[in-house]
Amino acid sequence: MDGSTAPSGHDLAGLVHAIESDLDYFRLKRFEPRVFQLVRRGAISFSDLVGREGTPGRRPLGTSGGTSGVTSGGASRGASGGASAGDLEDRVRVLQDRLDAYILGIAAMSLPGRTLSLVVEDVRKERGDYDEFLRFTKPARGGGLHERVGRVEAELADAELVLDAVTEALVRRGEVDEGSVEARRTELSELGHRNGARIVARAWSDPVFKQRLLETGREALRDMDVPTGRLGRLAVAEDTEEVHNVVVCTLCSCYPHDVLGDPPWWYRSDEYKRRIVADPRATLADMFDLVVPPSRKIQVHDSTSDLRWMVLPRRPEGTEGWDEDRLAALVTSECLVGAAEPRPGT
Amino acid sequence: MRFRPGERVAVLGENPDGNPRTPPYLRGRTATVSKCHGVVVNPLDHREPYPPLYTITFVLDNGDEITADIHEEWLQPAR
Repeated sequence: MDGSTAPSGHDLAGLVHAIESDLDYFRLKRFEPRVFQLVRRGAISFSDLVGREGTPGRRPLGTSGGTSGVTSGGASRGASGGASAGDLEDRVRVLQDRLDAYILGIAAMSLPGRTLSLVVEDVRKERGDYDEFLRFTKPARGGGLHERVGRVEAELADAELVLDAVTEALVRRGEVDEGSVEARRTELSELGHRNGARIVARAWSDPVFKQRLLETGREALRDMDVPTGRLGRLAVAEDTEEVHNVVVCTLCSCYPHDVLGDPPWWYRSDEYKRRIVADPRATLADMFDLVVPPSRKIQVHDSTSDLRWMVLPRRPEGTEGWDEDRLAALVTSECLVGAAEPRPGT
Repeated sequence: MRFRPGERVAVLGENPDGNPRTPPYLRGRTATVSKCHGVVVNPLDHREPYPPLYTITFVLDNGDEITADIHEEWLQPAR
């Protein structure tokens, strides 16, 4: 998914930071509240999750070779022993894949109608201004890169263990069946930025839809079987000959992810946040090899949670007569935040 | 709605009510109101609605622009 222009090589620390924050976010806010909910509603009990060696169907994690669709499938790819500097990048790539599988596993085990889509992410809530009960304590971070990678590997292995145990408990109790968990995982893995690409392709092809999209945001999406989501309003910034739009969230990493899936990993990096609002033109050129002509103004949209921005890029020349599927294939997640332009032939 | 599109506004340096959603680097700067959104109901992000929301536009030295979506309590008329 990462385009060749993504600065993946020279900001490993930024990538590790993004992994750390994502793991915190999904474990603390997306997964653990659901576990409490499942327990409170009697779907599972905590005793389901402990001391289950030898339970039929239970494999020791770390040795499972992806034999079943139920587990998050990541533990088997756990920490490798050697830690030379050259390995570090590989380990981080593995972490990224495992984290993706973990996130997907959380969504796949969630029972429609049985768990609220509980999101506790408001800054004030985290500070406990609403309710002390909701206060999160995030793990301390810091140290050298090797130390951080090792730590996040261990944390992720723990998180996978719990996710697998909860998912298996749900299956064992007959709350879900393995097949539907796997089907949901497949379905979810195909959403994400493809939705954004489909929205862009439709807007290029259908002027009436484009107008509705620009004016009403999410409302327009009902027409095309894209889940419209509920995270604030969707704001769409249309690129023209005169304006090139870019999206950032300097405060946190707001993004219409309920519609578009995850933004590119660097969207969460401090380097991007800091530089794009200080000198957008140079930053696009330096970080993404995107040179915007001097005649074209750059407009950076600093997202807050109430409005979540996406970019509607310009339709590339040479795509006349293309159908929506073919057009959608040109649109990467980088295009949706204005760090790349769609090009036919790439 | 206290402000209209085209009006010049200044972002306050701090906010007594504690609404945290104004990026620090914009505080104290002046901008032009581009769009008024009214009160945005967004219960997944905050339980009580914030005051009306405005998209305001800051012009950089080279003519490029930054827009930010700022709630009314953070804004005052620019002098």
